[in-house]
Amino acid sequence: MSINPMNSTPIRSETSGLKTDTLFLNMGPQHPSTHGVLRLGLTISGEVIVEAMPDIGYLHRGVEKLLETRTYAQGVVLADRLDYCSAMSNDLAFCLSVEKLLGAQVPKRAQVLRVIMAELNRIASHLIFFGTYGIDIGAFTPFLYAFREREMVLDLFEMCCGARLTYNYIRPGGVASDINADWIARCREFLDFFKPRLDEYDTLLSFNPIFLVRTQTVGIITPKTAVAWGLSGPNLRASGVNYDVRQAEPYCGYEQYDFTVALGKTGSCWDRYFCRVVEMRQSVRIVEQALSRLASGEIMAKLPKVLRLPAGEAYSHIEASRGDLGVYIVSDGGLAPYRLHFRAPCFINLAILQEILVGKKVADVIAVLGSLDIVLGEVDR
Amino acid sequence: MTREKVLSDILAQVPGASAAAAPVKDYPTVRLSQPSDLPTAARLLKDELGFDYLEMVTAVDWLGPTKTEGFLPAVTPIPFAAKAPALPVTPAAGPDIAYRPVLDLLWSFGNLKTHLKVFLRLEVSREKPEVPSLTGLFPAADWQERETFDLFGVRFSGHPNLTKILTPDFLQGHPLLKDYVHQPDEFDAD
Amino acid sequence: MILDKYPAVLQAVPGGKILLTTTDDFINLGRKYSIWPLTFGLACCAIEMMAAYASRFDFDRLGVIPRPSPRQADLMIIAGTFVKKMAAPVREIYHQMPEPRFVIAMGSCANCGGPFHDAYSVVKGVDKVIPVDVYIPGCPPRPEALIYGVMELQKKIMRMKLAKGGGATLQAEKGSRDPAGGA
Repeated sequence: MSINPMNSTPIRSETSGLKTDTLFLNMGPQHPSTHGVLRLGLTISGEVIVEAMPDIGYLHRGVEKLLETRTYAQGVVLADRLDYCSAMSNDLAFCLSVEKLLGAQVPKRAQVLRVIMAELNRIASHLIFFGTYGIDIGAFTPFLYAFREREMVLDLFEMCCGARLTYNYIRPGGVASDINADWIARCREFLDFFKPRLDEYDTLLSFNPIFLVRTQTVGIITPKTAVAWGLSGPNLRASGVNYDVRQAEPYCGYEQYDFTVALGKTGSCWDRYFCRVVEMRQSVRIVEQALSRLASGEIMAKLPKVLRLPAGEAYSHIEASRGDLGVYIVSDGGLAPYRLHFRAPCFINLAILQEILVGKKVADVIAVLGSLDIVLGEVDR
Repeated sequence: MTREKVLSDILAQVPGASAAAAPVKDYPTVRLSQPSDLPTAARLLKDELGFDYLEMVTAVDWLGPTKTEGFLPAVTPIPFAAKAPALPVTPAAGPDIAYRPVLDLLWSFGNLKTHLKVFLRLEVSREKPEVPSLTGLFPAADWQERETFDLFGVRFSGHPNLTKILTPDFLQGHPLLKDYVHQPDEFDAD
Repeated sequence: MILDKYPAVLQAVPGGKILLTTTDDFINLGRKYSIWPLTFGLACCAIEMMAAYASRFDFDRLGVIPRPSPRQADLMIIAGTFVKKMAAPVREIYHQMPEPRFVIAMGSCANCGGPFHDAYSVVKGVDKVIPVDVYIPGCPPRPEALIYGVMELQKKIMRMKLAKGGGATLQAEKGSRDPAGGA
């Protein structure tokens, strides 16, 4: 009997008297490639994964309980720290749901500022993905390039709100501070610098033959599976499902911006990767349009300093960097939310891992996991 | 298909369903009368109406304001002030809010083609909360139901692996229940 | 010339070919400039830690090169919220590291629980579980702050004495370590 080393079925040779057994392989919570504190329990037979069981909760901070004892202004601080790679999006989702229940109108200028910040943050967040995914696959250099550009975005954030990572910039009713002409000039400078860099990334990583071989036929998610598991964001669109909250249920005036939604063809790891690279291009376009339509005006609606929301429930969701981030808020008329639930895209995206890893080789685990682009702060909340 | 059409379709075809008195703002919200209606409603939404995207599973505990025992502080807008300002911290329940000892479960379904969304709600008792699991219809329910079980103690019958997902094994109780009081463990000692 | 930079540590014997120093200083000098941290991030601060390794801040120039395995690491940077479920793995990883080993608590969460101090699942400070050498405040601290923290650790390493059992590892099971680095 000849043994094909590429054969993916476990060897069961009853005739030869050889006994094979499965092996439990523990990965994490401290592992360089789990993007935080994720633990994966893998049962493997030879090199093939028989069962994959993600174990989460190693960063469960009980944010939803804490928010019940925080006023709405204090709540933004905690919302910031969920998906810490794109804190602006979290702020935005939180504030939109508060404003929806309150029935507050956000001034035009604040809406445009929100779009600018959210899209810049999407660029920064996808740059982290770009850099770390390169490391996952074995290419270290893209990390250094990505962080060079990311620092420029962070400089812009620092100029307008003073923080590099957790901004607390978008507040219920508007934004915290205005931007000036100098900021706009620096932002345009960055966009002009950044656009050619995206072409550089394509030669550096996207079409690198080794990278293609490692990702192009790996971790394929069909559209049907993707929808059934509730994937969202680039992970869903890489499978060819056209669903982007910015177009499906526009908020902050996204319907006025001209941009295309990046769609993948096969749903492989490479498609998920490339969707994000294309999204960065589109974000640049949106920021350019937003800068040109920035009219002077108020940046904050006239709201009381201490908010009290009318009793009721509201749900609002946005297209965050990692998918459809929803905030379900219940108020009983008090100073704090009665109940607040985050529909965390990373949490839901991660669940599919137990299905798609089965039958894959051990070496592909990192490629698949990295391509889902999870942030554990949001998975565990 | 419009929101009204979706709502009327569900109300017509699911026994015991009614339009929720306190809906989620701007979305059609259907209240189911008993747990056994849930699979019927979910199957109708998925197969007939095209709502094949389970967005969210969560719950609300309507017992009353959060207990601020243990180390949870009372709500105050100025936490670092030497003397807390004299504000009524616990809310007066308005006419729309009736505190009652029930767990209010919430499912949200999306239709990716028409971009509509519909919410299903179902009240279960706090003593023995049990509802059928939707994992067979929507794999997306798997972890979200585990989360709701972990944080609220709702048992989803038929779930293949209903175990704790977020909280550590030694944590007693279900933290998002309103009467949850944290029991200090080895890490809380000084 | 290295002699200009470490006049207190190294002394040249007249004649020029021999340098004299104490064993402590010699070993400490080696340790000081090859602090290898574990690539281990918990939450938000880990992103700032990554930024410190990356282009603009370039941690390598301090001899700080991340290692993926605790067996090869000297330093553990607790970057992020330290929750109860993570306590057992962190303790285990800490004990897997060879001595002398150092711990930096980066950010408010690792120092005292930070904005999550009143949560039911958060440990209020990593020093309740493992001993800490340097605390860095901030939420999250900037990469410059992390670099400063490592510089403070270097100062601490220079005060280590072999006679006192390897210095900063001193066998406290938890809490903040003696700033003198000795007994």
